[in-house]
Amino acid sequence: MKKSRLMVIICAFILLGGLPSVDKIQAAESYNLGVALGLTGTGALYCKDGLDAIKLATEEINAQGGFLKKYPIELFIRDTQTKPDVAVRETKDLILRDKVRTVLGTYSSACAVAIKPVCQEYKVLHIPAISNSESITKDNFSPYTYQVVPNSYMQAKAVVLGVAELAKKKGWKEYVTIASDYEWGRSTQENTVALLKQIAPNLKLKKEFWPPLGETQFTSYITAIMAQKPDFVIGSIASKDNVAWMQQAKAYGFFDKIPYPGSLISVSELIIEAKTLPRGMIGLARAPFFAHLDVPMMANFVKNFRAKYDRYPSDWAVMEYDAVYVLKQGIEKAGSIDTDRVKDALKGAKVDTCRGQLFFRTIDNQLSCSSYIGVVADDPKYPFPIYHDLVEVKGPDSWRPEAEILADRAKEKK
Amino acid sequence: MDISLLFAQFMSGLARGMMFFLIASGLSLIFGVMNILNFAHATLWLAGAYFCYTFWYLMQDYGFGLWVSIALASLVLAAVGWIIEVLLLRRVYERKLPEQLLLTYGLILVLGDLIKLTFGVEDKVIVRPPLVASPIFLFGVPFDSYFVFVILLGVGVAAGLWWFLKKTRYGHIVRAAVFSREMVSALGIRIPRIYTGVFVMGVFIAGLAGAVQAPVGSITLGMDMAVVVQAFCVVVIGGFGSLLGTFVGAMIVGEVYSFSILFWPEGALVLIFVVTAFILIVRPWGLFGTPMRT
Repeated sequence: MKKSRLMVIICAFILLGGLPSVDKIQAAESYNLGVALGLTGTGALYCKDGLDAIKLATEEINAQGGFLKKYPIELFIRDTQTKPDVAVRETKDLILRDKVRTVLGTYSSACAVAIKPVCQEYKVLHIPAISNSESITKDNFSPYTYQVVPNSYMQAKAVVLGVAELAKKKGWKEYVTIASDYEWGRSTQENTVALLKQIAPNLKLKKEFWPPLGETQFTSYITAIMAQKPDFVIGSIASKDNVAWMQQAKAYGFFDKIPYPGSLISVSELIIEAKTLPRGMIGLARAPFFAHLDVPMMANFVKNFRAKYDRYPSDWAVMEYDAVYVLKQGIEKAGSIDTDRVKDALKGAKVDTCRGQLFFRTIDNQLSCSSYIGVVADDPKYPFPIYHDLVEVKGPDSWRPEAEILADRAKEKK
Repeated sequence: MDISLLFAQFMSGLARGMMFFLIASGLSLIFGVMNILNFAHATLWLAGAYFCYTFWYLMQDYGFGLWVSIALASLVLAAVGWIIEVLLLRRVYERKLPEQLLLTYGLILVLGDLIKLTFGVEDKVIVRPPLVASPIFLFGVPFDSYFVFVILLGVGVAAGLWWFLKKTRYGHIVRAAVFSREMVSALGIRIPRIYTGVFVMGVFIAGLAGAVQAPVGSITLGMDMAVVVQAFCVVVIGGFGSLLGTFVGAMIVGEVYSFSILFWPEGALVLIFVVTAFILIVRPWGLFGTPMRT
């Protein structure tokens, strides 16, 4: 009996001795990183790539010991189903149950707009790296939200600059728009039309078409647009809807008859529609990897992504990867994982990204990232078409002037 | 307005309507004969699209790959329908409606997850064979040649179902079972076998519709939810259980949507629901349904 009691005491000492000190316990604390992406539903096409990039960035950072070399990242992944109500529910759960300090997301600007106030209420960082409605950072400003994707205004401005130039050359007079009927589609279309009015006031908008999000059959839209006989069409359709639209419009000979400049053709579409995408089409992208292979971070990312997943990364992968590394740099600058300190450290910060060194604009936490316009063309280096004659429209040349943002916010207050 | 443009819009509406007919006809058939409201019908339609992609992927180097894939996917779905009927549905025929609805709703979740596990979350795209990849011109109006196939197939399915129900002995038995299961049973005909046959046929058509949809755009999870509401509008307008009603309902939904895009694009979807609500108020059993079914 005495012997066994002695053994218990010895074991207890060994165990206690083996336990880490208080410092060691702190060192093992993980950084809980929430991911809220539309892994099913209409955004699944883009989000899968984004999630894979987040996982890659996490592995790379954890291999070095985690954030600040002592906080390994633990991912908590939730599917928003591309629905705002689900996004809010999952984000609350991420914050309250999983105690995440940052939420990366989201596909669908409606989801991003919906979860922004939740993150602000619970003082959690929010980095939407796919959804890009300008209202995410412009309206009801939240100091906890940082945007690493060119927003809808910036993309619209880039398109408008290109279209205005083409309209002058080709003598275009009238156009119609087709945009998915939800937050991003509406916001992009409105910005494009407003900017075209400013930059090319002689162009007349004949008609607007608003297919619902998730539309699978565009035939009626295609014939209705052709009936209008516009000089050109501007489209704001994304993800699987965009694939359906492009396929069906092509089968109608639409692109042979009507110029369709500046629609969103990300690397996802370039890969998926490699065989069917009309060559010579002028497309718009948010972060095509081939535009920045001269940046070591991008070259490295593409190499690692291909090694891990055996495919090229899309724009969405690039931006989600950047989001994780932006967070890393914010934490390093703050010297802490405390969310308020990281938030303050990122304010106006210069950050290294796959797209080069960029900075956050103080007024709206928008990253000074570029938009890209180019001509779809085959390239012997890739098994899919890429952009040739690529034009990079820099963030500071395309984002909304600060005075307009301040004026809008003053109106909001009233 | 130019008549050719109206014709183009009419043809677009026809193509859209025919797609909905293919989806809704199986739904209506199953309800008409078995009195089962199969909520999972659109999810089976989605499974048909995924199976079509899988077969096409294996045969993509051959020009006939797509056509064979459509046929194979429909057959696989028929087998899935048989399993569902034998293992699950057969046990709830005598139960109350809410229990049947719960079961078919549960099937949406189970099948949805099975599809995700089997085919993954990536979108799938089928490249159409050259025969249906470019437009054809009807009276000088361009038209997607694939939709000519869809329209012909829709007409073929409608005619085939009509012939089966009106002209064959088995069809007569099926129709008799709608009105009096007891009488048919008393004649020595096994009702469960009839039900199995009808359910398999309904799911076969769902699989066919899904497979036909597959090359129209990309195939993605959640597509079923986007079409299920409009498919139900079709059967509500036409009348649950009526084949003719489903055909007319599908044409109404297709053409109303198509022409409202031309004249009032913002209200296209709303108009379909307005028509559905109107029919529900003035004729709850639908245009070609019978009051008995309400």
